Amino acid sequence: MTQIDPEQIKVILATDCGSTTTKAILIEYVDGEYRQTQRGEAPTTVERPFADVTMGVVNSVTEIGELAGRRLVGDDGRIISPATDTEGCDIYISTSSAGGGLQMMVAGVIAEMTAASAKRAALGAGSIVMDVIAANDGRRPHDQIQRIRDLRPDMILISGGTDGGTTDKVVQIAELVAPAKPQPRFGSDYEMPIIYAGNKEAREAISDVFDEGGFDLQIVDNLRPVLERENLSPARDKIHDIFLEHVMAQAPGYDKLMGWTGAPIMPTPGAVGDILQTVARLQGINVVGVDIGGATTDVFSVFNETFNRTVSANLGMSYSISNVCAEATMPNVLRWVPFDMDERELRNHVKNKMIRPTTIPQTKEALMFEQAVAREALRLAYKQHKEFATTLKGVQQQRTVGDTFSQQTGGMTIVDNMKLDLLVASGGVLSHAPRMHQTAMLLIDAFEPEGVTALAKDSIFMMPHLGVLASVHPKAAEQVFDRDCLVYLGTCVCAKGTPKPSKPCFKYQLSGDCNESGEIAGGDLKLIEMAPDARATIVITPARGIDLGEGPGKKIEKEVRGGTVGLILDGRGRPLALPEERAACQKTVQGWLDALDVYAEEKEPAAV
Amino acid sequence: MRYAVGLLLALAVAWTNSSRAATISLAPPTDVTSEDVPNDIGTQVLVEWTASVDDHDVPEGEPRALLGYSIYRKVAQTGDGLESIGEAATNASEIGFPANFDFQDVEPIGSVSYGRTQFVDENVEAGTTYQYAVAATGLPDAFSPLALATELVTPEMEYFNIGKLWFLIIMLTISLVIIAFVWYAKRGGEIKVRPIAGLEAVTEAVGRATEMGKPVLFVPGILDINDIQTVAGITVLANVAKTAAQYDAQLKVPTARSLVMTTARETVEAAYLGEGRPDAYNEDNIYYLTDEQFGYTAGVQGVMVREEPAACFYMGAFYAESLILAETANSIGAIQIAGTAMPSQLPFFVAACDYTLIGEEFFAASAYLSHDPEQLGSLKGQDVGKIIAAALLVVGCVLATLAVTTNWRGAKIAQIYISDNILGDEGLVPNADKVAEIDAELETQAQQPHGGGGDS
Repeated sequence: MTQIDPEQIKVILATDCGSTTTKAILIEYVDGEYRQTQRGEAPTTVERPFADVTMGVVNSVTEIGELAGRRLVGDDGRIISPATDTEGCDIYISTSSAGGGLQMMVAGVIAEMTAASAKRAALGAGSIVMDVIAANDGRRPHDQIQRIRDLRPDMILISGGTDGGTTDKVVQIAELVAPAKPQPRFGSDYEMPIIYAGNKEAREAISDVFDEGGFDLQIVDNLRPVLERENLSPARDKIHDIFLEHVMAQAPGYDKLMGWTGAPIMPTPGAVGDILQTVARLQGINVVGVDIGGATTDVFSVFNETFNRTVSANLGMSYSISNVCAEATMPNVLRWVPFDMDERELRNHVKNKMIRPTTIPQTKEALMFEQAVAREALRLAYKQHKEFATTLKGVQQQRTVGDTFSQQTGGMTIVDNMKLDLLVASGGVLSHAPRMHQTAMLLIDAFEPEGVTALAKDSIFMMPHLGVLASVHPKAAEQVFDRDCLVYLGTCVCAKGTPKPSKPCFKYQLSGDCNESGEIAGGDLKLIEMAPDARATIVITPARGIDLGEGPGKKIEKEVRGGTVGLILDGRGRPLALPEERAACQKTVQGWLDALDVYAEEKEPAAV
Repeated sequence: MRYAVGLLLALAVAWTNSSRAATISLAPPTDVTSEDVPNDIGTQVLVEWTASVDDHDVPEGEPRALLGYSIYRKVAQTGDGLESIGEAATNASEIGFPANFDFQDVEPIGSVSYGRTQFVDENVEAGTTYQYAVAATGLPDAFSPLALATELVTPEMEYFNIGKLWFLIIMLTISLVIIAFVWYAKRGGEIKVRPIAGLEAVTEAVGRATEMGKPVLFVPGILDINDIQTVAGITVLANVAKTAAQYDAQLKVPTARSLVMTTARETVEAAYLGEGRPDAYNEDNIYYLTDEQFGYTAGVQGVMVREEPAACFYMGAFYAESLILAETANSIGAIQIAGTAMPSQLPFFVAACDYTLIGEEFFAASAYLSHDPEQLGSLKGQDVGKIIAAALLVVGCVLATLAVTTNWRGAKIAQIYISDNILGDEGLVPNADKVAEIDAELETQAQQPHGGGGDS
């Protein structure tokens, strides 16, 4: 791959090869800025009978070419590069999650320390972590070996011990993996890649353990050289390298596709993480992104430039919908539904959705139920994310006598809803909700943002493409992300605390593109329409004990942006509490839905 | 002060009696009574009398004729004679005091100065019948005739101290609350105990030691196993040992007492067995250093410097060595978790350690770590007891303030009720005399003209 000067890049072609669909977008430099101009999609052709991923790529790119009036695929079936006025692109980039994406197993000495760091490295690189093996995971060695043998990961990441720390325990972990001889998913002649990112003094012993053959041992810097610091980049980079060299090389057609791309192919979730990190860094904001799928829900967060990603493997809207109902419990799901529903009928509905994942709700009641399930799936996934995205454990603390009564343990979550600036949604149930008000309401109910938070959705699931683009042209990626990728739903202003029902919660005054003032009572929601391009300054004076970002009872002033929904003022308090009694709960939820006009008769074309 | 001087003079009189002949020149006290002090175990008798006519104020500079009263006792049951120091052999079989009572030979069982009309004899035996007599005393060697108590008295032991009934009520309430919480916890009820950072961090500290390939050091204090703090420390040691067994970390326990060493060995061995790791237990890692405070401190410091443990626990009773140990471990970069009930050492531990269990937290560790319903219920019940005590304190302070700053009769009565009945030994019924005093005081104040007004 030759390095291209970003200034010379004017036409960018990007594809995301998913398990079922290959999505392509065209980004062009128009009127001094980068804009996404066309999109096309075609079925992915990684499976038999085609067994060549490039066929789907060419099909989707051809569609874009026809729409754009630009010839992108040459007579030889390759993508034309570099661009001229009428044909080709300056750079072609791609992501891939075809064939289940990148699947890894990680291991470390202590589950909450080096093993957790290894998991963070693997998830951050865009993989699915199939299991975490640790010395204290409560399993006997023979159980661990059996588990490793049963799994068929694409690669294994082994960490453990600080530099100069334990050697015995790391070698013990390696000695579990070596005799288990895990088989890779692809290719019989494929040597299982092992990335060792642990105590540097154990490298020789680790090499001896894997010396027998059948493994491709790669050694990188320790991802936890001292317990006080993580060094995940070398491990993540090595995962990407092996993903390209081994995993992708085994998948049909990827060797050809790799020859076409101007930047390394990235796993789709890894690319989503990269674009969120880039945007957070360039705009100096904290971001949370969510992608809710049929089987899994991915949550990404960037707080104070620390990136975390979690995959909730059993929380989804079709294959995993039964698990969501089981884990959240039906009463918790039904609390979001403002009318009585027959539980038996609902269970049938859930099972139907599980075995027919592509069906969509046909009635308003079915839609409301499905969105109630989505709220719980998102809530649980976010809860798991908060538990995973923590400060490092095992770190020495510095105290003063003033800390006598305020000692806190390590491993506290770094996810702080009050500091969250932007919440981005993607995934069918969020992106394709009939009204964007529903998407906004789902996000607010599930994530419970506090203070002032902008809400947006990924219009056409463009974030993976932009993630790869960020690695070659961050500025273009940010511009397209802000202007075309995100559809801003608006801004929500949410009070933290326990406001008294019907008593003043906070006063607000808007000035700028929208001029309005008023008061929000405890338990109330209010929607103020603001056009997508509108900007206004809001001054909020909270009641005593209510916090909107500056501390309880303290006035704040912030700029808010409009959106397809508008400005949402939320006086329900945090944490969000619904009445226990069913009838009261229904009445309360109906009041909230009415306040935001969530399920009103269609007034606008269905969002895409 | 006046009474004290009188008492000294009376004692002086008693002393001089031994060398000089007594003269009967003073008027005796009258109406002498003796009665069993109620609500005790039968070891006290209250003797009261009406003051002698010679017990009166004198002009300044003039000598006082009557300086005090001497109290005499005789065992009426056996008639063994006067039960006083230097007992006289006078009419041994006679019940009662002889007419020719010899003040020189008989020591009184007690004496009080002039102006006083009560004496509590605290050296009697339950079930024995006594007769009391009182004589006025003055200088030089002046006495009054003996004034005998009108009735004999037999002190008795009482099983219930009615005066402390409130104590019983509060104790029963707390006990019932504890039983209720234990019952609730045993039935699967959730008893929430707030997170204690120091105990939550045990796994973190042992994990750090495992990752760094270094040992865990546990210091169980410098007192013996009979100290409650050492026992609490051993409870925490069980949990640390369990975690160390799970993580396969090396645990070292130097002790300052041989019995603590034995207890610690058994505790750690049980923890390793419980985790299915008996092979990993090494009793040589739990060893005795010395009973000497600073010898022990130096020994532990040596272990720290040589072996550089990654996690240090200090759980027990500590004195001056606390800061020495904590600073040494801090210098080697160890995570430190301390727990002690020694208030003077807590600031040092808080400043130098990562986590510190403070007083009650330390003793709650056992319930917190074991999640045993009985212990959790007991913990919760004790908390309720503390809440009751705190509420009483607040209410008492408010009432005391109101009683002083206002004329509210209810506050004044409630204040004396709390101090005398609930916290004192007046029983359930308020003292009628004190209530009457309050009423009289309030009536007097009501009759006084208001100040500050008047014609200008």
